[in-house]
Amino acid sequence: MIQDTIRKFHEAAASPRAQMEKYMAEGKKIVLTAPVYTPEEIIHSMGFVPMGAWGADMELNRAKEYFPAFLCSIVQSILELGIRDAYKGASAIVIPSLCDTLKTLGENWKYAVDDIKFIPMTYPQNRKPDYGIAFTKAGYERVIRDLEELGGKFDPEALKESNKVYNAHNAVMRRVDEALAAHPEITAAERSDIFKSAYFMTKEEHTALCEEFLAELGEAGAEDKLAIVVSGILTDAPQLNGIFDDMGMHIVADDVAAQSRQYRTDVPEMDDPLQALAVKFANMDNCSVLYNVKKPRVQWIVDTAKERNAKGVVVVMTKFCDPEEFDYVMIKRACEAADLPLALVEVDRQMVHFEQVRTNLETFRDMLTM
Amino acid sequence: MAEEVKKPEEVKKPRKPLDPNSAKYKLGKIASDAFATAIEAKKQGRPVAWVSSNFPVEIPETLGLATAYPENQAAGIAARGAGERMCEVAEAEGYSNDICAYARISLAYAKLKECPEQDVAMPDVLLCCNNICNCMIKWYENLSQELGIPMIMLDIPFNPDYEVSDAEVAYVSGQFWDAVHQLEDLFGLKWDDDKFEQVTGFSCRASRAWLEATAQAKYTPSPFNGFDLLNHMAVMVTARGKEEAGEAMETLLKEYKENHEKGESTFRVEEKHRIMFEGIACWPYLRATSRGLKDRGINMVTTIYADAFGFDYNSFDEMIRAYCSVPNAINLEKSRDKRIKLCKDNNVEGLLVHTNRSCKLWSGFMAEMSRQIGKECNIPVTSFDGDQADPRNFSEAQYDTRVQGLCEIMEANKEAKEA
Ligand code: SF4
Ligand code: SF4
Repeated sequence: MIQDTIRKFHEAAASPRAQMEKYMAEGKKIVLTAPVYTPEEIIHSMGFVPMGAWGADMELNRAKEYFPAFLCSIVQSILELGIRDAYKGASAIVIPSLCDTLKTLGENWKYAVDDIKFIPMTYPQNRKPDYGIAFTKAGYERVIRDLEELGGKFDPEALKESNKVYNAHNAVMRRVDEALAAHPEITAAERSDIFKSAYFMTKEEHTALCEEFLAELGEAGAEDKLAIVVSGILTDAPQLNGIFDDMGMHIVADDVAAQSRQYRTDVPEMDDPLQALAVKFANMDNCSVLYNVKKPRVQWIVDTAKERNAKGVVVVMTKFCDPEEFDYVMIKRACEAADLPLALVEVDRQMVHFEQVRTNLETFRDMLTM
Repeated sequence: MAEEVKKPEEVKKPRKPLDPNSAKYKLGKIASDAFATAIEAKKQGRPVAWVSSNFPVEIPETLGLATAYPENQAAGIAARGAGERMCEVAEAEGYSNDICAYARISLAYAKLKECPEQDVAMPDVLLCCNNICNCMIKWYENLSQELGIPMIMLDIPFNPDYEVSDAEVAYVSGQFWDAVHQLEDLFGLKWDDDKFEQVTGFSCRASRAWLEATAQAKYTPSPFNGFDLLNHMAVMVTARGKEEAGEAMETLLKEYKENHEKGESTFRVEEKHRIMFEGIACWPYLRATSRGLKDRGINMVTTIYADAFGFDYNSFDEMIRAYCSVPNAINLEKSRDKRIKLCKDNNVEGLLVHTNRSCKLWSGFMAEMSRQIGKECNIPVTSFDGDQADPRNFSEAQYDTRVQGLCEIMEANKEAKEA
């Protein structure tokens, strides 16, 4: 039974194009959402299906006409897929300007992929004061206007409902994360599929599937594995997860942008649902692309690792991701101070050979099990 | 002029002392005083701020805060040959060598607190503005942690639209006053509207003179060597809110005008070709990059810096809009149009693009933008790989080949035109 559910997660995670075509065949319009955060609730409420566009593991060719080699491969592969028509049929892509590389993606997109509209989402970094919340709201209004041009209709009542749908999904994802901490028998690859599939299914469907999965999980597994916390932007490479599994590592918590960072903050209950969504963004934190001079994220990693009895932290660095590269130094120091072993592995969407990652994680495992 | 080409540069004549009334002397003094004044202030126990290059200087100047500019410091360190050494210090701390070299140098300085190639006063507060990049946010967050001092963040987001929206003006204005109040509270300072008005007057005066001086490249031959701008720019970064800056920039303008009238130029060889240079200078290889052009009679007559410090405004809102419109904060179309204007106004025949390993934002849509500029202006475009401060990312051989290629196309174009 549970294997059926796990297979469903895997199928959705592994075949975004099939998912997209399924929705388009149902007469639905697709709006792509780029990393790291976008107002999916708005897109959903206006009748579109938001689908995550975090690129794919592939060789880059056409993207090189636009990007120099030293920009992260997530963004480069999003453009590559766009140019190669892998997203054909999508109505638009929403790209936030949360890091320098993302800023340039939107600018290139306009010329490289002319049949999928670029919708910018400009978030403030001083997001907590009233003027920051007002600016977030103005950014949302801009997204709404662009979606209206594509035939969407904005209705505050519908947004209220969508906010609830997303909050419910957040809640179930947090429960999944917690449950998995006690289930070493669920592999890293399976865990990755559960999180990744969320980007290619409607939130209603994904929530339902997660509920099924949780109901089927049963008693906590007894396997003796090495508990680790994983941190980074994206950890969906099959080879990477294969290595975690080969090393007998059990991910008991993640600080991964494409995974749990998405689900930590809910939309608060307020009369004005758009204002509420802006307040949600103000409340978000613990992330390398959200300004906070105190970097609470660093302590969050240490505390979570302790809470979940992790033996170590693995930082999965997406090559050329400067926001994460700056934070890494602070994470490393905090882990050292807390006597928490830490490993750094570098990944890239163009990577074919994972020997370096394997060697690093082997050494780390040996150190932890000594 | 032809004799000068043949004269090998290695035969060094004793340097004539600079005329203290010359722009070069005045600008050089302002730039070096900028560091010394902050060091002196620190000694006297007055607070010092480290400030990002496009932070509204109107704030620290009005409040009387002493300032130092880490980008400016890093450029100086790199130009004097210590870029690699400092980068390695940061890398040993765990900073990836993919991170902007200015940030690496600055973080290394925060650790060592000395670098004979360019010392600065240690800060009591950090004034960060991300209108040039978000890398700045992460860099200053880490400085704040490393040094245990407060950081004031003025967020000016990248604008995907051509015009600055009212929502953005409101957002940035809110932060502007918040920043002022935070600094007042931190250091017991007092905002003074009259002082503010005076500072904005200085800033506008310096900006106007800078814009006009750089615009003198409209003449053929240009009355100046564009590499001058890369040096003089330091004053626009660090001192545009000071009275001396406007005065010195006006001297520069006067000299350029006189050069034109007398048929002279600081580009001391025959000007055979005129190009626009795109990107930050390769500070560790300033001489090599300059010579590669000069030896071929190529004058870099303009760069986006000619437009970058146009902080000339008539109201508070206009000032905010100016800070929202600095080069790295604007979309491709607006960036492109500004450059097309510079190319056309200054009779540019070719575009040389520095693909700067340090700067993701600047390099990230440069390929598409320069294609569009080349097409619109009907000029050849060539790029080379480099880095503003980490010498490991530049190859002189590649630079030379690329410049030679550009030169040949410009020559062919010229011949075709003349034929
Ligand atoms: S991986 Fe890093 S650099 Fe790339 S888009 Fe995400 S945050 Fe930006
Ligand atoms: S070089 Fe680029 S990344 Fe570095 S500080 Fe300047 S604008 Fe930012």
